[in-house]
Amino acid sequence: MKRLNRIMLFVAMSAVLGLSGPAGAAEPIKLGAFFDLSGPAAAIGTPTKLVAQMVVDQINKAGGINGRPLKLIIGDTEGNPTKAVMVAKKLIEVDKVVALIGPTRTGTGMAVKMKLLQKARVPTFMTVGGDPVIMEGKHGGKNFGSAKWVFKSPQRSSVAVKKILGFMEKRGIKRIAIATCADGFGRDGKRWLAKLAPKFGIEVVAEESFQPTDKDMTAQLAKIKATGPQAIVCWTIGPAGAIFAKNVKQLGITIPLYQCHGLPDPKYIELAGAASEGNIMPSTKLMAADQLPDSDPQKAVIRKFIHLYNDVYHYNRQFPINTHSGYAWDAIYMVANAMKKAGTDPAKLRDAIEQTKDYVGVSGIYTLSPKDHNGLGTDSMVIVQIRGGKWKLLE
Amino acid sequence: MTTPAQLWQFLLSGLTTGSIYALIAIGFSVIHNATGIVNFAQGEFVMLGAMTMITFSRDLGLPMPAAFAASVLAVAAIGIGLERGPLRNARSRVVLILVMITVGASIFIRGVSMIIWGKMPLSLPPFSGDTPISFLSAAVMPQSLWIFGITLCAVIILHYFFKHTMLGKAMRAVAANRRAARLSGISVDRIVFFSFALSSALGGMAGIIITPITTMSYDAGVMLGLKGFSAAVLGGYGSMAGAIIGGLTLGVLETAGAGLLSSHYKDAIAFLVLLFVLFFRPAGFFGMTKVQRL
Repeated sequence: MKRLNRIMLFVAMSAVLGLSGPAGAAEPIKLGAFFDLSGPAAAIGTPTKLVAQMVVDQINKAGGINGRPLKLIIGDTEGNPTKAVMVAKKLIEVDKVVALIGPTRTGTGMAVKMKLLQKARVPTFMTVGGDPVIMEGKHGGKNFGSAKWVFKSPQRSSVAVKKILGFMEKRGIKRIAIATCADGFGRDGKRWLAKLAPKFGIEVVAEESFQPTDKDMTAQLAKIKATGPQAIVCWTIGPAGAIFAKNVKQLGITIPLYQCHGLPDPKYIELAGAASEGNIMPSTKLMAADQLPDSDPQKAVIRKFIHLYNDVYHYNRQFPINTHSGYAWDAIYMVANAMKKAGTDPAKLRDAIEQTKDYVGVSGIYTLSPKDHNGLGTDSMVIVQIRGGKWKLLE
Repeated sequence: MTTPAQLWQFLLSGLTTGSIYALIAIGFSVIHNATGIVNFAQGEFVMLGAMTMITFSRDLGLPMPAAFAASVLAVAAIGIGLERGPLRNARSRVVLILVMITVGASIFIRGVSMIIWGKMPLSLPPFSGDTPISFLSAAVMPQSLWIFGITLCAVIILHYFFKHTMLGKAMRAVAANRRAARLSGISVDRIVFFSFALSSALGGMAGIIITPITTMSYDAGVMLGLKGFSAAVLGGYGSMAGAIIGGLTLGVLETAGAGLLSSHYKDAIAFLVLLFVLFFRPAGFFGMTKVQRL
């Protein structure tokens, strides 16, 4: 008898649980998120994933999208373009996500764009650095396809290049040497530096390159030194940038070293050590949050972001805040805001994202348009210099 | 215009990189001589050396020399574990299968290291400051001198070990003819054991001394292993002198390629020369072509 009671109770309970499951909450909206969680850019992809989880958590706590919660489905690109396409395909076809966030690097982003997003109709907000993902048509004999469904939240390379060149022009620099990484991101930087420098009255006197895995760049630097530039611009992410800075110091080169907008990161100071002293680079306002004037419209959202990141979610224990930290926040909020207006129909959602206007984000104030799928200008960046192991706001 | 000072700088930079490759290449050769296999986990030993050193010196606060010794021993223990575990207990003795096991081990070690040490690149402080030393108008980091010095010591000790100790001679005997060595009473088992210990310790040591210059991350072993392997092939796989000459040549070729021709095609130039050498001397600089008769 007792046993029967127990069975009855069990049946009754499971019936209650079974019923309350779907009835209790509205059906979640699926959002695909794929980043470099392993592979060479894992140190960027992993914190991006953490921030994505934090944002979705925040949105759901605030009531979700018109009453429906967001559900993040995560994939790992392993930094491999083929794998990235496979993961994106799975997210689109099996999980039936409404939109995609990611990937992390220009190379993987381009693979997904060219192999998938020319046909698949899924709005994709990328967190990659390079411009090719949102470039269209033919440039210099290379076909960039259609970027109709692709957006990106980090500043364009061309914007970062303009920021650096504008700053140099003010400092009276006329001759620069550039050293760029031989990957998608580095080539993108090189293309813009070479193209835009003359517009600022600056001559590129030396062009060198290196591999992302290289351990020594003194040969390139010895050549650069011989051409007598007034400044060196290095364009890479990851440890190669720190090795480059160390080599600059080793050869006793005293002209200023400008790094790209990918390196403002406490990790860079840790890896390059004393060689990072005096380096100048463009950055999002995140790196100099405490030095921003109170009149800055982004100050409130940046404060909120830093508070959540450091004090609530404690991500800083493993990944201290760097210039990239806010990109996933901005990407997901812009997609979520568009969803609130236009729902989850892919075409309507895409149009709504494209109409984003004056969205005040962590990384800048975004105004998108059919011609501009990034929506940030040079005013979204600041120039910082490393002084005494700290980030000092220069402009 | 390339000046003599620049050439000198290229040469010194190339030799620094080259001695790193040489150390890794020696590790490849030692295991190959004892077992006939290519150990693709060699690059991972290099990475492990740096990572354990970081744990011992930064996290546990051991003084540098103690941490150095502890890390080299730890990596040697892992190398022995690889040999005593998966390699010895494999059901098949086919060389290709054993090589595949080392490939698997390298992926496994990378994965575990990613979990233990995280995905961020790590660094070690240089052994004696980072003020560059000017050496006949070329600048050298003190750490580069450590790399030269330690590599040189390792080579001299290894030379003595292989030429003048019983164990070293036994190892050479096994390399020359396994069956004959066994018939004359040498325990091949023990030799294989020592080879793995020696080769992983060398790899670990290489990792420790290069990290202050190069930084280290859980996946950096792949590229280091590949370069070390190329150096070993260039010099003649299995030859000690070949590993050293091969490593130094590869290092100098890379920097000279970047400095004199074009940094865009640096690796292509180095590998082109590698292919060219192997075309005319398939066994490498010092390799002996084994003549087989039917």
